[in-house]
Amino acid sequence: MWSGNVKAAVNSLRTSKWRSLLTMLGIIIGVSSVVTIVSLGQGLKNQILGQINQLGSDVVTVRSGKIVNEDNGGGSSLNFLGLFSASTLSDADVTALKELPSAKAVVPMAFVTNSAKSGNSQLDNVFVIGTSPEMSQVLNQKVKYGEFFTQDSEDTNFAVIGPNIAHKIYGELNPVGQSIEVLGESFVIRGILSQSSGGLFSIAQTDFNSAVFIPFSHAKRLTDNRLNILQIVVRGQNPDNLDPTIEEVKKTLLSTHKGQENFSVLKQYELLSIASGVVNTITGFISGIAAISLLVGGIGIMNIMLVSVSERTREIGIRKALGATNRQILSQFLVEGMALSIGGGLIGIIASAVIYFGLRIYTDLQPVITLPVVALAVLVSVSLGIIFSVAPALKAARKDPIQALRGD
Amino acid sequence: MALIELQEVSKLYGFGDATTLALDEVTLSIEKGQFVAVMGPSGSGKTTLMNILGLLDRPTHGPYVLDGRHVSRLRSNQQAKVRRDRIGFVFQSYNLLTRLNVLENVALPLAYRGMTPVRRQKQASDMLERVGLREREYFFPRHLSGGQAQRAAIARALINKPSIIIADEPTGNLDSTDSKVVMELFADIHRQGNTILLVTHNPELTRYAERVLYMHDGMIVGDETTAIGNMARGARKTYFERRKVSDDDIVAGVSALMRDVPGKELAAKSDSEKGRSKKSTSKRRTRKVKR
Repeated sequence: MWSGNVKAAVNSLRTSKWRSLLTMLGIIIGVSSVVTIVSLGQGLKNQILGQINQLGSDVVTVRSGKIVNEDNGGGSSLNFLGLFSASTLSDADVTALKELPSAKAVVPMAFVTNSAKSGNSQLDNVFVIGTSPEMSQVLNQKVKYGEFFTQDSEDTNFAVIGPNIAHKIYGELNPVGQSIEVLGESFVIRGILSQSSGGLFSIAQTDFNSAVFIPFSHAKRLTDNRLNILQIVVRGQNPDNLDPTIEEVKKTLLSTHKGQENFSVLKQYELLSIASGVVNTITGFISGIAAISLLVGGIGIMNIMLVSVSERTREIGIRKALGATNRQILSQFLVEGMALSIGGGLIGIIASAVIYFGLRIYTDLQPVITLPVVALAVLVSVSLGIIFSVAPALKAARKDPIQALRGD
Repeated sequence: MALIELQEVSKLYGFGDATTLALDEVTLSIEKGQFVAVMGPSGSGKTTLMNILGLLDRPTHGPYVLDGRHVSRLRSNQQAKVRRDRIGFVFQSYNLLTRLNVLENVALPLAYRGMTPVRRQKQASDMLERVGLREREYFFPRHLSGGQAQRAAIARALINKPSIIIADEPTGNLDSTDSKVVMELFADIHRQGNTILLVTHNPELTRYAERVLYMHDGMIVGDETTAIGNMARGARKTYFERRKVSDDDIVAGVSALMRDVPGKELAAKSDSEKGRSKKSTSKRRTRKVKR
């Protein structure tokens, strides 16, 4: 019976191809947009998780501003504005933290300016960051050419630049030994970082493809001691147990901040879980909007099914006269509605596969389509089909055979 | 025991003073294997009788026993199964499903029985062979002539080996040649022991029947047994002009109703049929004009 119904449904949809296609369009758009958005979010999360693996697990990051992070509850939020407003972290904090016995290395990252000059060209999309030589130890990017500035050379005007900058200014040439100008002062390029796979969305700030590192002392001097410290990375003595280090860092900073907790001490994975939490929230939000089109698509199906039922009143009458029970008529129209929505779902999945490859080939985005997402899309379209076909199918099943046979 | 037994079966439409009596205490029994023709002017209740016998409609009063089973009060799903297994319909306008080919149309009642596709196609194919449409199996109804379409419809009616075949003016849309082919097919089916109930306006067709019922105003006014091949005597006299409705008739109709149906019971019954009233009063009058 069911196979017959499916065949009949496909048959009747084929007789009105355009109508069926247009009806399915709502579902197609809904499914493909939800799948695409979820796959983008998934890709983003994968990139972030990849960064967790690249970073050492033995570092603690101190950030300006209080980041609310409920215990594993997911209710976390990242204060993006913290990146752009004046930092609450100061030079004194760095000095204080360096005194800690459990801190193997303290690496401040101070924002100097976002432009640098080389020869005639002015670069505006760079982060000029003042940091200490230990930066090379906590950095997930290796120095490809040359080397990082060392403790000995801290007073020298040395700089380390990211690969994007090297490429922009010097093209294919190796710029080690060339000079770059920051706030009117010349720095000799000492090393060039390797390309990070971090991609576009580096919320965890571990992507330094477009950064220029200069020694901390110079940063201090160039900004007249008004340092804007983005974060301080502290490397613990015992990588297996960072908690004592975190406690000590907190205590020290509370005392230098006069008891105000306007900073956050985070393990790397906490930082990243916040970031991926944000991605999750955004993905969920946009998916929700896209899901509305699924709802509209479902209503479209219901509408067309109702039209179809009244157009085929006579057919229903004939079928009933031949002995179809109400249930058999019901299932016929249910299957037809489901065929519409499942067809739409499948085309939608194909469309999102096309979008997927398009994005992979033509953009830097790396969406990931997972089986659960596809399964969910199929499930949603099946249930939409059932939900929105029930009313028309019931209408068909309840028709009085005599009146239906008269065809009105 | 007769195949079909009706005991004072009535069918009322509408309610209150707008009630129409489509069937007026019809008592009828049809034996298995009979070829019965039903004649009568439009609006005489032929179609209502067919609908009740075919379980498409329920009588307001009176029992209907089909093959020893009380069927008039069954639930609609049960009635659908009885229709499927025991009743074959042939309509004036063929009523083949346009989207399905001839073979699928004929096999449809088997599908509702839950038979596998292979088996039902085989049976449908055999049945088409019997009505001479084997080579038209994969045609669609729109590609068939009227006579061929009606023969396909007859094949569909026969496919479940029904107890009774109900044919409502099966030759109404056909020319005389096709009519003859179709009626010969019915005669053939009858010779193989099937029970056939034929509604017709054409007195010529009573030649195929062995019993002719005449209906008028919801009553069976004549029941004639006739030899196959002879036109029924009553059929010659049947007049087909539309009757003029006089004021007397209307008054007579209403008083007849009041006499026939006890007041309270009528009110209760007809309340449930609210809404149909206006439509059916006008219908009763216009039906005489329409056909």
